[in-house]
Amino acid sequence: MTQPPIVEARHVSRVFPMAAAPVTALSDVSIRIEAGEYVAVVGPSGCGKSTLLHILGCVDVPTSGDVLVQDRNVGSLSDAERSRLRLREIGFVFQRFFLLPMLTAWENVELPQAEAGVARLDRRRRTAELLEYVGLASRAAHRPSELSGGEMQRVAIARALANRPRLLLADEPTGELDQRTGGHIITLLDRLHEDGTAVVVVTHDVAVAACAHRLLTMRDGQIVEGSS
Amino acid sequence: MRRTRIWALVAMALSAAVALTAASAAQPIEAGEAPGVLVSRQLMESRALGIGDLVRLSADPTGGRSRTFRILGAYEPTPDPMRFAQPALEARLHLPDLLALSGNPSDPSASDTVSSINVALVNPADADAFARDVSTRLPGTVARPTSAPDDRAGTFLVIERFHLAIASVTMLGSAVFLLALMMMLVDERSDVVGTLRLIGFTRRRILMQVLAEGTCIAAVGTAFGIGFALIMQGAFNRFFQWRYDTALVFLRITPGVVAQSILLALPLGIAASAIASWTLLRRHPLALVRR
Ligand SMILES: Nc1ncnc2c1ncn2[C@@H]1O[C@H](COP(=O)(O)OP(=O)(O)O)[C@@H](O)[C@H]1O
Ligand SMILES: [Mg+2]
Repeated sequence: MTQPPIVEARHVSRVFPMAAAPVTALSDVSIRIEAGEYVAVVGPSGCGKSTLLHILGCVDVPTSGDVLVQDRNVGSLSDAERSRLRLREIGFVFQRFFLLPMLTAWENVELPQAEAGVARLDRRRRTAELLEYVGLASRAAHRPSELSGGEMQRVAIARALANRPRLLLADEPTGELDQRTGGHIITLLDRLHEDGTAVVVVTHDVAVAACAHRLLTMRDGQIVEGSS
Repeated sequence: MRRTRIWALVAMALSAAVALTAASAAQPIEAGEAPGVLVSRQLMESRALGIGDLVRLSADPTGGRSRTFRILGAYEPTPDPMRFAQPALEARLHLPDLLALSGNPSDPSASDTVSSINVALVNPADADAFARDVSTRLPGTVARPTSAPDDRAGTFLVIERFHLAIASVTMLGSAVFLLALMMMLVDERSDVVGTLRLIGFTRRRILMQVLAEGTCIAAVGTAFGIGFALIMQGAFNRFFQWRYDTALVFLRITPGVVAQSILLALPLGIAASAIASWTLLRRHPLALVRR
């Protein structure tokens, strides 16, 4: 590959220092995510999937090892610089959506753009386009409490895409949804990948895993299959 | 120097005032010769007196050795915070009249007992120099400007210290309450703060937002507090002026008091919001949304 990977983890470990005994969530994990890749991460509950995703998404930092986002070492960045990276370079979708309850769907999608300093007119165009993309143009004025789970997750995906990240990380995006609404989300991720965004999705859902081009299997804080 | 007209003040106790009776027609009085007297507004009202009325004054509660005076006018007594609870039933006489009324004929020297007089100066700023001058020329007299602290103010110093103590306890209590309230508010917003951090808002950015909000709330709160105090000041003064029938001002919100309130309230409010929001911001964003 001539292009640098979008994100790369080198010998990454994450230990949570707990009162009783430290918990090793990740131990010596190495992985590269190339531009435009579609990766699914599977494994039993508690094996470290979320922790890996948080570290790849600069939400968390490893106890040891290096994370490089577009060849920049995340470990040497300040908290504010990592925040900027999350805002502009990486989209994150959580199992529990984490939309802002007092904002409408439109405002939730517009917020990261405003924070990134996108001009008002561009913001408006982009927000309309994104809500259209996730099929919620008619629900723009609705607050999260007025939306179904599937709709909230679609708003969350639109928000994650707001600043045109080259990488989308999704942690069990269908975990709280029934099969049919989950299907919508899968279709959306598929389309997103086709449009050129690299997607890493953590899932228990075989249907989601089946769509991905690479499958990573984790166990006890390590990638046991699919790492390359 | 302008001739200073000295009125002697007779502070009549209620019993003395009872001895005062409006002259009846049965007692022929040489009206033309009756000396003039000024009567306090309160005494005018309570005895239904009028200007031009003839009254008998006596220094003796039984009414003995009374003399007749003509009421030339009413005056509003200078409010005295030491005596506001007593009705100001008073009259002002010319000094010779007062001496004639209160003196003991059998002991002329005993009549000469004026314990204090007030002197109004053309230029009040001369008060210090004048007082010093009087003290050196008349050894044994105590002369002091009315603006200087007098021993009677001791009571007020104690009250003031008491007020300061109450104010400090109140401020401390409300600051703790405010902080607890902000903690609760902020804690309720921990999901929001966590989500903003996950999206990519920096700590500094959120702190600034909270500080801006805190400043607005503190400013509105301060303005409300001052406005409330100003309104209450009028109501409070009017009630107690009515209650004690005095012109005394009980409560005064001075610019100094306003400035002090602003200087205390604004930084306290801002500090409370800063401390409260920092308790959230120092935590990991995932810990904020996970609860
Ligand atoms: N903040 C945390 N504090 C302590 N332990 C944690 C924390 N986050 C995760 N863990 C532990 O790390 C391990 C991996 O967690 P996680 O990555 O959430 O697993 P998965 O997403 O695969 O279910 C688990 O044993 C979990 O209990
Ligand atoms: Mg998980």
